Amino acid sequence: MSKTKHVITVIVLSLLGITMLIALNKIPNQFEYANSISQHIVNNAVKETGSLNFVTAILYDYRAYDSLGESTIIFGAVSGIVLLLSRKTLPVSSHGLSFIVKRTFGMLTPFIFLFSIYIITHGHLSPGGGFQGGVILGAISIIFSIVYGSEFDYKRYTPTTKTLLETGGALLFIGLGFLGIFFGGNFLMNLRFLNMGEGSLISAGSIPFINTVIGFKIGAGLAIIFYSMIQKTFKEGVDL
Amino acid sequence: MVILKYLLLLFLLMTAFLAINFKEVLVSIIFLSIFSIILTTLYLIHNAPDVALAEAVIGAGLNTAIFMSVISQVRDGKNSIFREDD
Amino acid sequence: MINNFVFVALFLLGFYAILVKKNLIKMVIGLNIMEGAIFYWFITLTDRGGLIPIVKSSQVVNNLNDPIPQALILTGIVIGASTSAFLLTLIIELNKFTNSTNPDQLGGMLED
Repeated sequence: MSKTKHVITVIVLSLLGITMLIALNKIPNQFEYANSISQHIVNNAVKETGSLNFVTAILYDYRAYDSLGESTIIFGAVSGIVLLLSRKTLPVSSHGLSFIVKRTFGMLTPFIFLFSIYIITHGHLSPGGGFQGGVILGAISIIFSIVYGSEFDYKRYTPTTKTLLETGGALLFIGLGFLGIFFGGNFLMNLRFLNMGEGSLISAGSIPFINTVIGFKIGAGLAIIFYSMIQKTFKEGVDL
Repeated sequence: MVILKYLLLLFLLMTAFLAINFKEVLVSIIFLSIFSIILTTLYLIHNAPDVALAEAVIGAGLNTAIFMSVISQVRDGKNSIFREDD
Repeated sequence: MINNFVFVALFLLGFYAILVKKNLIKMVIGLNIMEGAIFYWFITLTDRGGLIPIVKSSQVVNNLNDPIPQALILTGIVIGASTSAFLLTLIIELNKFTNSTNPDQLGGMLED
């Protein structure tokens, strides 16, 4: 039974593969590029948004509404995970790893935080942006939980703080969007204030602010996900 | 650069195959992490540094942590925790 | 050509894992590999052999890579991570009732 099912699956999948290869070879290698929207963005993005990184210009200016939808999806995932995994017992506590690892990460963690802030705030000048830097911010909470034990994480970076950062980030993002309407444009219009010239940190209007807001929101959301996932793992030794 | 790309593609296929067919789930997760790192290098070769950064941070870092936290609390009947129940 | 082949091979490997494997975590790993295959294919398809789409100043540079697919794939990677986290949460919850990660044993749960 299982053997024949296995063989049939492999045969069907190889037929599917041959079909896909034939279909994919019909796709042209080079697309029509002149007069496309990509051409418009490459030619005008620096003038229109002030951002030197075109991917950031698309994500946080031209298609910022899509980024709002994306962070809504992450908000939904966080809500679902916390709803499913909510437990009445206070979380946690392991004693963490050895002394050497604790001291090493004690020295490394500030630099990881600095790196994440760099990635978030320089999103319009270099590769990076709110999403990537936010995940590194969330990784700091994961390091706290693994290296120092999750009790340390619970005390240093309480669930209330995480919730505040996440909902506050989402609300500030929507608030920046409504500011665009308030100043007479579209939702999430680039406000073009505080411009110190191309290539400087404070330029590109509201893109660095949206980056910062999204970064803290994503970081707090992923920290909440990991925090609610490890709750049951270390049950013994709870005295908070 | 072309030889490097072909080598990386070979390793990509190998790590994907091992991630699916290895007996222990823990080792599968480590191979998935290596898969993400190789994918990061390929994105960088194809001049997409933003995507490469996102894949490195999310695929190799966060996904591994989440998978690890799951297999540490999933109990699998009679068998050992990390064994696949074929 | 080689990119198409790698894409199809990785996609079918992931699909095979979802169809055949008897472990829910292995299925999520297969889903992740399918995602990676699609992202890789999309990036290589739209790579025109140009430069990285980041410029130094406002003067127009020709021969840049297309930034729109890169933004799309960036969105996709983040969404894929949150989706797989949610799937793994569902696996934890199912594991509390069935005490197993075998998808064949989930059917008996409803009859009890």
